[in-house]
Amino acid sequence: MSEDERYRTSTQYRYWSYTPDSLAELRTTTNRIAADRVREAVRSAREAAVISSAETSETENGSRAVSALPEGEVDCLTVEEELKLVAFYCRQTIQLGDHLKVPTDVKATAIQYIKRFYITNSLMTYHPTSILKTALFFATKTENHYFRLTKFADAIGKTTPEDVLASEFLLTQGLRFTFDVRHPFRALEGAVMELQAMANGQISAADKPWEGREMGKRVKDAHGKAREYLKTSALLTDVYFHFTPSQIMMASLLIADPDLLTWYIGVKLPAESMREKVMMTLEDCSSILRTVEPTSQPSGDELKELKRLAKKLNKCRNPEKMDLVGLQRAKREGEDGEEEKAIKKRKLEREKSAREGDDLFGPALTKNES
Amino acid sequence: MPPRSRLGAGETSTSTLSANNPSDDICPVCKSNRYLNPNLEFLINPECYHKMCSTCVDRIFTSGPASCPVPYCGKTLRKKGFHKAFFADLTVEREVDIRKRVGAIFNRRQDEFETLLDWNNYLEEVEGLIFDLVEGTRDEKVKAEEKLRAYKEGNRGEIEENRKAGLEEADIARRREKAEKEAARQRRLAAYREEEEEKADAQRTKRDVLDRLATSNEDANKIAQHAQKVILKKTSARRNLTDAQANSNGSVLDSGLTINVRGLKKKEAPIIEKPYDPFGGVDLTPSHYTLQKDYDNEWLGNAKNDIRHMAGGYSIEEYYARTMFEAFSGLGVFIEDEKAPEKTAASSTIGTAAAVQAAGGIVSLEDKMELDDVF
Repeated sequence: MSEDERYRTSTQYRYWSYTPDSLAELRTTTNRIAADRVREAVRSAREAAVISSAETSETENGSRAVSALPEGEVDCLTVEEELKLVAFYCRQTIQLGDHLKVPTDVKATAIQYIKRFYITNSLMTYHPTSILKTALFFATKTENHYFRLTKFADAIGKTTPEDVLASEFLLTQGLRFTFDVRHPFRALEGAVMELQAMANGQISAADKPWEGREMGKRVKDAHGKAREYLKTSALLTDVYFHFTPSQIMMASLLIADPDLLTWYIGVKLPAESMREKVMMTLEDCSSILRTVEPTSQPSGDELKELKRLAKKLNKCRNPEKMDLVGLQRAKREGEDGEEEKAIKKRKLEREKSAREGDDLFGPALTKNES
Repeated sequence: MPPRSRLGAGETSTSTLSANNPSDDICPVCKSNRYLNPNLEFLINPECYHKMCSTCVDRIFTSGPASCPVPYCGKTLRKKGFHKAFFADLTVEREVDIRKRVGAIFNRRQDEFETLLDWNNYLEEVEGLIFDLVEGTRDEKVKAEEKLRAYKEGNRGEIEENRKAGLEEADIARRREKAEKEAARQRRLAAYREEEEEKADAQRTKRDVLDRLATSNEDANKIAQHAQKVILKKTSARRNLTDAQANSNGSVLDSGLTINVRGLKKKEAPIIEKPYDPFGGVDLTPSHYTLQKDYDNEWLGNAKNDIRHMAGGYSIEEYYARTMFEAFSGLGVFIEDEKAPEKTAASSTIGTAAAVQAAGGIVSLEDKMELDDVF
């Protein structure tokens, strides 16, 4: 079983790998359906408000309720706008992670959770600020970096543990119950380790183009640069969906030191056709990575645009899904209520049978309903 | 075998006999009892299991075969066939005899059968046969006897082989037990001898020290220390020696065992079992790299040298294997090609229903998500 086959068994490959086209298609569909639902929800909310105002015949009260909802046709976000916002919130997640002092792989995992979640869910339905907290909290768990929930909520500020947990199951479901994210970080360490071993002659490599020491320095420089790309560009773009961790890592090395990587791939893949194919894939991947430079921050114009989009999002949110905490509580209490009812019923039955137990022939035989 | 086939007659009378068992003291033939003859001894003959006293046996059968004196039995018995009953209950005696007889013929062993089911079926069949012989009606008994005879005729060779194998096994077990006992005895002796020697040695050293102290002008402390050292050295040397002996003993015993094992040889050469493979033959050898014993990595300096990392069972080799694996795992996986829509739809690796829908009809996935909505 080769390394590639073993990668094919991962959920990242099976569930979370898409071609660019199919990913775009998925996002379009998600956006369309979410927009429809928002319009529908707003319409029904308005109707409900009108009815209630008619019933109470307190016109000013009713009109206030209606005015809380946006006027006229709801202006929904487009797919591109949603993507921009998701990218922005991914950056926010990195900042939040820095603030909480969590390791890189926790941040990276959290971002992948957010990205995966918003493939099949829309920002209009579930607002990213709540989702990103939950995603980061999940990531601390899956990456084995323990963070107490109360401390976590405190450290974020203006957040209660309920806020973090409200979208817990929602996110889990959005992730299709797959928490495993394969990152390219460890892969980079592996490749660099091997390159260093080649540089100092521990592993013999045919026709090494550089001296041992020079090559060692090159590898070290490339390592640092590639790592920067993996820590930011790889997270903020869609490369995780289109390429494997190994390819992402190689692509970042390709950006960092093209000569070194071309030689390395040549050593590793002697077969001509395979090498060309891999190199082409790496080129594709690195061109995507280059779209977001590691040090780049959103420019002034972009920030303005993002602010506008955030405002727009606030106007077109699905009114039914605004209050996740409330929904969660309602759901739990609903369950509790039913349980209470069942307990009461059982108690009544028990009392009845106890009363009848005093009869000569005992209580009537109960029919088991289940 | 006509006499055996008439066991039915015997059986009825044995039951009456066993009914008389409480008054075990009267010979049913000559009516002499234990009161008159204190060394009265009852004998039976496995032909019909009728009990009679030894005097009667002598009296009736000394002059050659005669028919059983019990009324309506009439079986021809010989003096040679009489013996004391092992069980007080003669029905049990008879059943045990029958079992012995059948067991000598149906003497297959479990390893001759391919499956456990076959073996169990065989056992059940034999048990049925025995039951027929012990408890069956006359016809059943005749039939069973016939079966037994036919089987014996048909499988003469195998029966003989199995009999020999059984004898051999018993022999080997006996021999092994004996060897083990002998070895244990030797060990005990050796331990005893060693102890004695040690004691004597200690005595001798002590005496030497005293002599030295008495005769020479050296420092007393030094002499005592030296003596202590000598004793320690001797003990450790002895221990090494005994260890070596024990090892060699073990190997001797082992070789003895292997000889025995050779005697156990089955009809087919035993298939050598391969070592257990937890991956069921999956080859996990990396194709793009060879894992080195050690890599230079400045970040790993601590992990390599710090005992606190090792104490928790951290294995640096594990880390090497994992990083190298991840570096190349998926390098040749081209998602662009492999996840093209027509391929994913047919892909069987997709697990959940949602995933199937995601791969196939995207719209239906959305519907599904709506249905499963958490809130």
